[in-house]
Amino acid sequence: MVKVITKDVTKIFKSKKKEVVALDKINMEINSGESFGILGPSGAGKTTLMRIIAGLDVPTAGELYFNDELVAASNRLIVPPEDRNIGMVFQTWALYPNMTAYDNIAFPLKSLKISKAEEQKKINDIAEILGISHVLNHYPRELSGGQQQRVALARALVKNPSILLLDEPFSNLDARIRDSARALVRRIQNELKITTITVSHDPADIFSIAERAGVIVHGKLVQVDKPSIIYSKPITVEVAKLIGDLVELNGRIEDRNGATYAVVDDFSFPINKINASNVRLGIRLEDLKISKESSLGSDWFLVGRARVKVSSYSSGLFRVTVVPPSNDNTEVVVMMDKPFDVGEEVNLFIRLGKVLVFT
Amino acid sequence: MRIQGLIMAIPTIFFSFLLLYLVLWNLYYSFTNWSLLNPHPSFVGLQTYISLLSTEYFSISFTHSILLSAGAVVFGNLLGLLFASLLYFLGNERLRSLYLSLLIYPLSISMAANSLIWLWLFNIHIGINWFLRMLHLPTPLWLSSPSMEFPSLMIVVIWAYAGLSLIFYLAAFMGVDKSLIEAARIDKASPFRILFRVLLPNSMNGFIVSSALLFLFSFRVFSPPYLLSGGPTNIFLQTSVVYMYYLFTTEYFAQASAVATIITAIATAVVIPYALYGIKRWMKHE
Amino acid sequence: MSKAKTKRISPAVKAAIHQLVIIIFVVIWLVPIYAMVINGLKSDVAVYTTPVLVPSSSPTLEPFQAVWSSLSRPLLNSLIIVLPVAFIATFLGSMAAYFFYMLSNSFSKVSSFISNFLFSLISLATFIPYQATLIPLTKLIADMGLLNTYWGLAFAFFIFYMPTGALLMSIFITAIPPRIIEAARLDKGSDWRIFIKLVFPLSLPGFVSTLIFNIIETWNNFFIPLMLTTTPNMRLIPVTVQSFTGGYATLYNETFAAAFIASIVPLGIFIFLGRYFIKGLIALGTGGKGV
Repeated sequence: MVKVITKDVTKIFKSKKKEVVALDKINMEINSGESFGILGPSGAGKTTLMRIIAGLDVPTAGELYFNDELVAASNRLIVPPEDRNIGMVFQTWALYPNMTAYDNIAFPLKSLKISKAEEQKKINDIAEILGISHVLNHYPRELSGGQQQRVALARALVKNPSILLLDEPFSNLDARIRDSARALVRRIQNELKITTITVSHDPADIFSIAERAGVIVHGKLVQVDKPSIIYSKPITVEVAKLIGDLVELNGRIEDRNGATYAVVDDFSFPINKINASNVRLGIRLEDLKISKESSLGSDWFLVGRARVKVSSYSSGLFRVTVVPPSNDNTEVVVMMDKPFDVGEEVNLFIRLGKVLVFT
Repeated sequence: MRIQGLIMAIPTIFFSFLLLYLVLWNLYYSFTNWSLLNPHPSFVGLQTYISLLSTEYFSISFTHSILLSAGAVVFGNLLGLLFASLLYFLGNERLRSLYLSLLIYPLSISMAANSLIWLWLFNIHIGINWFLRMLHLPTPLWLSSPSMEFPSLMIVVIWAYAGLSLIFYLAAFMGVDKSLIEAARIDKASPFRILFRVLLPNSMNGFIVSSALLFLFSFRVFSPPYLLSGGPTNIFLQTSVVYMYYLFTTEYFAQASAVATIITAIATAVVIPYALYGIKRWMKHE
Repeated sequence: MSKAKTKRISPAVKAAIHQLVIIIFVVIWLVPIYAMVINGLKSDVAVYTTPVLVPSSSPTLEPFQAVWSSLSRPLLNSLIIVLPVAFIATFLGSMAAYFFYMLSNSFSKVSSFISNFLFSLISLATFIPYQATLIPLTKLIADMGLLNTYWGLAFAFFIFYMPTGALLMSIFITAIPPRIIEAARLDKGSDWRIFIKLVFPLSLPGFVSTLIFNIIETWNNFFIPLMLTTTPNMRLIPVTVQSFTGGYATLYNETFAAAFIASIVPLGIFIFLGRYFIKGLIALGTGGKGV
């Protein structure tokens, strides 16, 4: 099992007109056997990093180590991809279209010079674990998205790789089967204990698979931690937005009666004392509620009166957008378990201590 | 692993280098005085080139080559553009394919056969002139008149290669986003406006490819000037390639090599930038 | 009272004019092949009595029979040489194309330089006036003792058409999704295995286009067999056909019959497999992904 270390890895893409810095001095350590996630907005950074780890690209500057071995340096590919013992599942799976699922999975084994019987056993074993034994004779174009993904996974795993790379593995799948796909990957990773790196822009992937995650924004690695910590203590508002839905507001600091508030139009949010006059606020949707009642208990703080502007529905909850009476454009989204009518006057509450403050 | 790939490429690399060897061989012998009179050649520097440049045959044949290629590029492009425009606005796919084939078929027939056919078509008694006479149209003397000979040669070459230009312009047109065309149509633009405002500006690449290939194909063509002229004594149709051949048959080998080197140099001057331009575009497609 | 806009031409009339213009050009373009067909079917008498553009009232196969004896051997020669040579040149060329593809995807400046150099070289081989190499080529083949032999012709053809095959296949290979090749590299596929199991099958249409292009070009090549064959029984068909000129006293029906026999193979390929030839031409110019 392999430990992956990047030292100041930088990647700059030069085109005729401009230079794009895709990765800026990334320093990361992924432990042997760990399941690591790389989270970031859709764009060049995270996939580029994955490709550099795979050997399909080289860093412009910086170094890449597997355990203690230098594997890539500035514009130099020291160990080529075929020698890195990596299994990779591409976003589009990249299955060989002119071969059956069986032959696809067999392809990496051909270079190992094992007997036909052994090859067959390995393929059947991994096919059974992944539940695709019955489709081995089919061509990729005859298979569903979920099946294709599992064939790709089988092909990556059958050669016992030291590192497993997953590039946006679930984005091409139907939303309904994503959960079972995530569970499958988690199970495999648990059983085989392979160093796994998953790249995704979807926080659900990170939460379900990764033990630790690194967040890359504008090419920089801004935070590395357990997903739950990133969620509750995001370093910047961009990180906060990446890892979950967020209500963003700009507020003015006011001190009243010894307590500090961030004031947004008619709303007052209680926060810790801070040395600034204006702040950016981030609030998770589950930490907001609206009600006709004037109190919801000691955990909830009354922020102010609001009016319902939009009433909608999403994934089993009602998505209600409310605005303060004085400003129709300051929108706050709340997820409630019952619907509200447009125009209704309600009270807006926030769970105590759950305001994220960014300067 | 790189080694296996290299081995796979060796036959092609071998023959490509062989070609380079042939080109350099020409270069070497052009600096000698090898001919029937000097069967054991010795190095003479630029002497061969200098004596060559002063002969009438040299300037005439190269002038003809340049004129022929220029004519092919100009008229080939014009006809190619015309045909592409006509075919592009045809609604029916099958008809378009059919007409396309009927206009490019000359490329699939050997230029030797083509030349023979045109030789007879240019016959002033029983060729095309018979038909023109019937329609009371003027009957040029084609290959029998010094002033019409070269234009006749150009007609053959343009007829054969206009199809090349057609293909590339049509490909360029078809590459233009259909929604642009549809938007123009909704704006009541006539086909001419669509052609000049939408299609042509996006066909720069088609123009470059078409011109480069028209030049290269017409520059190296051998059979038409050779067969339509009837022999070495007719200098009205002699192009540089034919001239080189005659030098060879009369055993002025050094001079033939010199002409060959010049021909290669001119062609290379067009091919290399064109190939590198092509690579850049090809790589960008990735 | 009619409110018809007399100034505007109706779409139907416009379409008719459009078609008419195309048809006029097409007819003009077809004249030579029309002449080739009808004049090969004229008896000697008809040659003297009908102009070149008028078909004979009693077509006959006499001219074909007359030329057959001198054309049968060259036809055979062409068939024996051209088809295998074109295939081998295209196949070996596509292997080289894969190598160039790999080179262009590597990261070292040296590879870049080599790939540019080789690419320029194969472009040169494809577009150069090959007549310019006639003296050294003839000398080379003669020195190898291969003058006037099948092997000599094949060798000479390889010098030009293998690089052509490599050039065209370089374009067609780019149509393969790069991820698939990358996946194969991660799967430790060797160069040969990736080529024969993935690249070649996935670029088969491109291979056929290149093959067709090479067959037609090799078949019609006049100059190389002109230089490298010295006896009539080794000649290839374009050269033999050329010997049917020789003054205006020749019976042109035989000339046309000969031209027809020489053209039947490439023309036939063009008629049935024309779209591949066209794709090959497009690849020659731009990039195979276009039309």
